[in-house]
Amino acid sequence: MSKDLKPTAPNRRTALKVLGAGAAAAAMPGFVPYVQAQSSAPIKIGFQQHRTGIGAAYGRWYGRVTEAAAKRLNDMGGINGRPVEIIAEDDGTDPRRGAEVVEKFATRHECDLAFGTLFSHVVIGSSPRAGELKLPYFVVSEGHHVASGKLNRYTLQPGITDVKSQVQAMAPYVSANLGKKVTMIFPDFAFGHDHRDFFTAAMAAQGGEVIEHIAIPPTETSFTKYFPKIPRQTEVIYHVMVGPGVLTFVKEMGEFFGPSAPAIFGFIDSLEAVDIASPGLEFLEGSYFWEGMPRYAQADQTSHDKLYREAVGVDANGASMADGKDVSTFAHMFGCWETLHIIKAGMEAAGYAGPADRQKLIEAVEAMTDMPLSDAHPQGAKVFNGKTHQTFGHQYISQVKGGRLDLVHATSIEDTLYPDEVDYTKMSF
Amino acid sequence: MSRHPRSVKPLAVLAAALGAVAWPVWPHVSEMGLVLLLPTEIYMAAGAWTVALTVLALALVPPRWAEAPFRPLTLARGPSGPGQQPGPWPSLATAALTLALIAAGLSGSRDPLGNPLPLAVWTVFWIGFVTLQGGVGDLWHWLNPWRGAAALIAGQGAPLLRLPERLGHAPAIAGLLIVAAFAFAHPAPDDPAVLAIAVALWWGASLAGCVVFGTEVWLARGEGLSALLRLFAGLAPWGGPGVRVALPGWRLLEAPAASTTAGLLALTTLSIGSFDGLNETFWWLALIGVNPLEFPGRSAIIGQTVAGLLSTTVLLWAVFAAAVWAGLRLARAEVTLATAFARLAPTVLPIAFGYHIAHYLTTALVNGQYVQAALADPLGTGWDPLGLGPVTVTTGFLNTPDSVETIFQVQAGAVVLGHVLSILLAHAAALRLIAEPRRAAISQIPLAAFMIAYTFLGLWLLAAPKGA
Repeated sequence: MSKDLKPTAPNRRTALKVLGAGAAAAAMPGFVPYVQAQSSAPIKIGFQQHRTGIGAAYGRWYGRVTEAAAKRLNDMGGINGRPVEIIAEDDGTDPRRGAEVVEKFATRHECDLAFGTLFSHVVIGSSPRAGELKLPYFVVSEGHHVASGKLNRYTLQPGITDVKSQVQAMAPYVSANLGKKVTMIFPDFAFGHDHRDFFTAAMAAQGGEVIEHIAIPPTETSFTKYFPKIPRQTEVIYHVMVGPGVLTFVKEMGEFFGPSAPAIFGFIDSLEAVDIASPGLEFLEGSYFWEGMPRYAQADQTSHDKLYREAVGVDANGASMADGKDVSTFAHMFGCWETLHIIKAGMEAAGYAGPADRQKLIEAVEAMTDMPLSDAHPQGAKVFNGKTHQTFGHQYISQVKGGRLDLVHATSIEDTLYPDEVDYTKMSF
Repeated sequence: MSRHPRSVKPLAVLAAALGAVAWPVWPHVSEMGLVLLLPTEIYMAAGAWTVALTVLALALVPPRWAEAPFRPLTLARGPSGPGQQPGPWPSLATAALTLALIAAGLSGSRDPLGNPLPLAVWTVFWIGFVTLQGGVGDLWHWLNPWRGAAALIAGQGAPLLRLPERLGHAPAIAGLLIVAAFAFAHPAPDDPAVLAIAVALWWGASLAGCVVFGTEVWLARGEGLSALLRLFAGLAPWGGPGVRVALPGWRLLEAPAASTTAGLLALTTLSIGSFDGLNETFWWLALIGVNPLEFPGRSAIIGQTVAGLLSTTVLLWAVFAAAVWAGLRLARAEVTLATAFARLAPTVLPIAFGYHIAHYLTTALVNGQYVQAALADPLGTGWDPLGLGPVTVTTGFLNTPDSVETIFQVQAGAVVLGHVLSILLAHAAALRLIAEPRRAAISQIPLAAFMIAYTFLGLWLLAAPKGA
């Protein structure tokens, strides 16, 4: 193309004027601030995708959701009147490559921001580089690393809740409905330890008790020998096993207990993208799962959920419309959709015109609070905490019934809150 | 979900300090989970018994029965002597395609599953073409991207230099290990730009090799991929002169005895395949100190992967040589180790070929869809000249127990068939080394034990839990 599509860099005075106009426009209800549309150059969003490597199953679905969201934003007129262009780079689910990808977004592709990372080790490996390059970095990882305060001013997680709030919010329902005496079974490394620590504390706060912690070595592929360690008085089993051995774990637990099992509660992460109706998983019938967003469309499905599924190409069972056996990573991938809509809202509130306005974008997002249930937020309402750069939202508890997951409880947002551990707004840019 | 790889210390410390939680997930996790539910130990036992019974049967039947399947049936007569040399045009067309793919890698989509270069190299060539070559014969002889270009540059004159005979196939072994190290250990072998540079360097260096040492010599002994492809082509069931057909492998028996380095090259094709399976297993990850549930990324284990590839290769050379040596001792045969090794080592090629099919079957089924998607929209403009699209890639068949079991059975079948064929070939080769049938059979005992053990290994690699 011979046409120069590069946006003209505004000088400081025009930028301020434009900002003022944008802010005023944004304050008017129903007004779409197209005043910024002096350039038709696209807003370039660098999508750090787990295209290959161990995150590829997630990366494929994060990619589909990202494409669907970008299409919707463009159908709505883009951002500030400019089209949205997604520039995807594979990070190989590898932290070192993640940092390289972030650098490529900033220097080679001249992206306005980076977005979309799931795996925590990639976030942790990439975030410092994003900070150095002053590139806004919107992650979709669920890790507590953002809210824990160990990242930087440029890294935000506005579109998906963190694991600390998720785990903590399960305790009120578990203790009130399933039982007070819990045995936790978890893989013996950081992922499992976080569940152990967060949930044990949360149960104690609810007057319940975790009476046994059973840590399973990560290389274990047969679990029968661990089940006798479950105390007899156990009322609830909380499991967060992950990896290829999950189906074996469930099958062997079923064989161990037979028909007289305690209540069983797990995180859908164990079975994300796995068909709940898989043989060997019959034992899960009647058990409970945390879900980030209900995989199966519920009887009271919102119009937002319906629109989101249709846009992404996912059916009422959370599987691909093209192949009903191709189960999506439904509990997590909404984060890409919501984050892109938040980026649009942030850029429009900031009157974002180009990379010079990156700080304004961060400040605009930091100023956000309530995000109501809407087409932009089909997973549910959220409250963003600008100080911790972390969003908080409803969590869902579903029960396996007839080989599908039926929603039995949605937590309040209050259930998910915990004291701030950082104030990023006090950090310099 | 944080992943706190022990081998990446700064990251591990940081992540541990964060107390962040990692979401460990794997490509095709449900497939692996379903495989773990299959009675894989029964498959392993059945496979090993099949190979063991083949050994027993061979010991009992008259030698001519053992050799019969490899005696070709002549379907059409033709002139003997060297076959027709290919003209330059197919090769020049492949060279042009290679250069176009390099350009696409540098300037096209950044998506390794959308850009035509990584799809062409890893899925179409490495999985598809290598398999085709083993089934059909030496297509690469015609289609390699060097013959035509080298002829244009150097003409038909004598090569500039002579590749020393004493080097044998050593340059090809080194080249093949470099390709394997790039594929297994480089952090981003399917990044389009990285791969474009790698392919350009490889193409250029190999072209230089052809010009300097002569195309025939360099492609046979210098360029690793061509050398591997030529070995696999020897497995095709038919061959000249004229049209002759027999059990795959007969042409390996008819070929003049290989050199020691040619034998090492054949074993290297096997070690590369085996290590490609091994390095994903929980067992290997635990060995190099990586928690398989929080794989730290390829860039964290480059050294371990290269070291593993090289040590697997050297170990296989040593174990195979030891088995040949022990067999000669047992049989009190008056054949030198070098002669026996050179004759017997190529008989592992069916194992390597069977494992190649088994190991890459799932990837072929998934990435084949990306190839179709790329062909359905070659310019990224929605223009679909072949009417193949739109393609929505699915991995749903890896979610279904029936299809996962079928895939596993095909994989296990390929592995077991490869071993049975290797046993038959090795026995026939031994009969050519040691005239007395009883002693020839005795000489095969250690090698048969090796192949039965390798059957277990091959099937275990398919069934073992994987974390990378």
